[in-house]
Amino acid sequence: MTAARGDRWTRAPLWLALAFLLLFVLAPLGVLAVETVWSADGLTLDAWRALADDTNALTQLWATLRLGVAATTLSLLLGGAHAWLTIGRDLPLGRFLVPLGVAPLVVPPIFVAMGFADLAEVRGFWPCAMLLGICHAPFVAVLAARGLRATDGRAYEAALLLRGRGRAELWLLRSILPELLAGCLLAFLFTVADHGVPEFLTVKGKTWHTYAEGIFSRWNRRAVGTTFAELESPIVAALPFLAGLGCLLWAALRLRASAPDRGVVRPLPRRPLGTWRWPALLLPLTYLGAGIGVPLLVLTRWVLGSAQRREPMGLEYARQSYQKAIDQGLPDLVHSLWLALGVAAVIVLLAIPLARRSARRSPWLDLLTALPATMPAILLGMGLVRTFHANPGLGWTGWDFYAGWGFAVCGYAARFLPFAALTLASQVRRLPVAAEEAGRFVPRHAVHRALRLHVQPLLPAAWSAFVLSFVLSLRELDLAVMLPAANATAVRRLANAVHFQHEDWSGVIALMLLSLAILVPLLPTLLAGRKLSALS
Amino acid sequence: MSLAVTVTDLEQQKGAFHLGPVSLSVKPGSRTAIVGPSGSGKTSLLRCIAGLERPDRGAIRIGERAVAGAGVHVEPVDRGVGLVFQDGALWPHLTAVQHLTFAAPKLSRADALQLLERAGLAAQADKKPGRMSGGEAQRLGLLRALAQHPQVLLLDEPLRSVDVHQRDGLVLLVRTLCDERDVTSILVTHDRDEALALADELAVMRDGQLVEQGAAVTLLEQPRTAFTAAFLRGAACLQTSALGGGRVRTPFGEFDAPAAAPAANELRLVLFPGDAEAHDGVDGPEARILARLPGEHGMRWRCAVDDQIVVAKAPANPTHHNGTTRLRLTGSPRLLPWQAR
Repeated sequence: MTAARGDRWTRAPLWLALAFLLLFVLAPLGVLAVETVWSADGLTLDAWRALADDTNALTQLWATLRLGVAATTLSLLLGGAHAWLTIGRDLPLGRFLVPLGVAPLVVPPIFVAMGFADLAEVRGFWPCAMLLGICHAPFVAVLAARGLRATDGRAYEAALLLRGRGRAELWLLRSILPELLAGCLLAFLFTVADHGVPEFLTVKGKTWHTYAEGIFSRWNRRAVGTTFAELESPIVAALPFLAGLGCLLWAALRLRASAPDRGVVRPLPRRPLGTWRWPALLLPLTYLGAGIGVPLLVLTRWVLGSAQRREPMGLEYARQSYQKAIDQGLPDLVHSLWLALGVAAVIVLLAIPLARRSARRSPWLDLLTALPATMPAILLGMGLVRTFHANPGLGWTGWDFYAGWGFAVCGYAARFLPFAALTLASQVRRLPVAAEEAGRFVPRHAVHRALRLHVQPLLPAAWSAFVLSFVLSLRELDLAVMLPAANATAVRRLANAVHFQHEDWSGVIALMLLSLAILVPLLPTLLAGRKLSALS
Repeated sequence: MSLAVTVTDLEQQKGAFHLGPVSLSVKPGSRTAIVGPSGSGKTSLLRCIAGLERPDRGAIRIGERAVAGAGVHVEPVDRGVGLVFQDGALWPHLTAVQHLTFAAPKLSRADALQLLERAGLAAQADKKPGRMSGGEAQRLGLLRALAQHPQVLLLDEPLRSVDVHQRDGLVLLVRTLCDERDVTSILVTHDRDEALALADELAVMRDGQLVEQGAAVTLLEQPRTAFTAAFLRGAACLQTSALGGGRVRTPFGEFDAPAAAPAANELRLVLFPGDAEAHDGVDGPEARILARLPGEHGMRWRCAVDDQIVVAKAPANPTHHNGTTRLRLTGSPRLLPWQAR
């Protein structure tokens, strides 16, 4: 077989991935945009004027920005401090705490909200900002830790000798600034795009709404046929929001790309904390306690009967809870598991060719791939629904793609593809181009060469991407609300159940869900002895 | 069987850099080094020969076969060449044995082990590149390139990341394996010693152009350009100015320009080490003494004249030690054009 024909085979996955982006990212957005411009109640200057004059929309926008800034500040403090203390200081148990920085990511934000809501009165803006800040701190913790690990300890020591301790710390801060800012921007994007937690915390006695909530409520009113004169389409309301977030994402990508490849480095020296050594442990413990401990504790209490005011709480009640959960919620849990596994597998298969292409030849592909990360999941869901609800092009087959699991898998994959593609692209950039060029002299089939020399070195990063996609899919609530097949996932069922006070068996389902989310990342450690820190 | 490599009027534009037109002829079985300073285009030329880059114009033939030219581009794997990259460019996830067995499908593990043993890498057979020294990695890179039995071996600065004490061993290995396999080799380097150790023919490049090509001995002893003399032998090349009537002025006085010389301003007075001597008189240009170097042929002084470094013979009984001296020529002046036209 000639080299050219072999190349066609190696390009097939890229074409498949591009087709996926076209169908499940660009087409849904395009459909929303087209409907906005050309539908009967399409985009007009009046609509924009109405948006500018709509005090409700401006209030939502302002509330969202405040929420984003407040939550991101907390993420920066918690995540940044966790990374700095565990990597740069002699914190007790530091080596074990480093990989745990990513751990709160496995807990869906709605679980954290449910946990805190069970312990205290957490209603309103500031509790919501605090909870979202805790939930999204892992983005900052992981990226800051990566930056600190990539900083050359010799350069830090040189700064320490020349400029003293304070200036050396400032130098360290400057050297990890790209990673730190990228982490903050990701935390901000996730916070402002979150629909579930603000909705949950303000469901009774609403006093404020976020933009994502506003867009969803417009969609609902539109869907039930209510005349909607002031704003014609959700995307009109979403456009300024999207534009702002797009700029932020572009900035985050540029910052990550501008972080220098520091090559072979000596690890940072662990500086002594002195008398603060043990008190400083409180910070990571508070972070991990709030992010994982409280939700787990509260869910366990629910299982034991606390929510149903059972006195005394006990294992017998827990057994009943498990029985009820298995009877009523197990199918949802199984659905969630298969959906998350399917999504993670699809994402990895699509992300590898996209990452290779964007890292080696087409950097603009990064931005295209990352597009879904800039928008609230609820908006992507609307686009997907509008595009596929009539099964375009499939009518003659009788196949209801829209209602099936395949559609849910594709929708989730579109949502989480950016994170896997960016992770893998970053890994591809670290691999020497010359080593790939050396492969062009090897007399083997192009597919064999690609698998051995291009894909195999990416497997560790692909596993991390798989785990990340799996965990994010398992905890996704916003798309679960929108996509028909995903309505039957455990997270969606839990969100409903919590509103209707079925906390006992929902606690069991939540714990099982968390167990899955924790078990999958741990598998390589348990089976192959791979270091847990590789995940972070 | 070794093959000839012929490059004809090759040109390539890469950003602001223009390579060529370059024409180069490499005889079958010869060992040729393309030398020149960084940014002279030698690596681009090598990559075009390897097939990793496409020239904009010109043609490349390997043996009788056109591999690049108008409407022709033969993939690297089909050119019958092997390439030893700078710093090895090894595959980080494969062991040394896997490198060889993957690169050469017909090679068995036993054959690969035998090859590794010959190169002194038996102990590294199951190690990945991350656990090898620079010298070991470069040896493996060489074996990988040769494992496919190429007819032409291309080497891109193969000694750059190798410790000084390991260089001789690697040079010997390259020459032995190339001789045994009757391979034409083309080396690219900016290091004169590396070029002379691995090649018998030299092609000197500067600013994307081929300055001159010939046997290494000839180019060392009788360079046709001042640039070659400076690059290969560290000669000082002093500016001259035209006086008219076929005369040129140099810091050492006025001389007749050689016949068929280019414009006089293009000429340089070329001084090899020892072509000038320091003296206590008042004739000749003043030079600042930078260092005193003992050597087999007596004491030499490194002196600065204008912006050039001249290695001059020291006077037998120097009387001045205030840091400056006067220089004079020990033989007839060597006036050469800076670059061939």
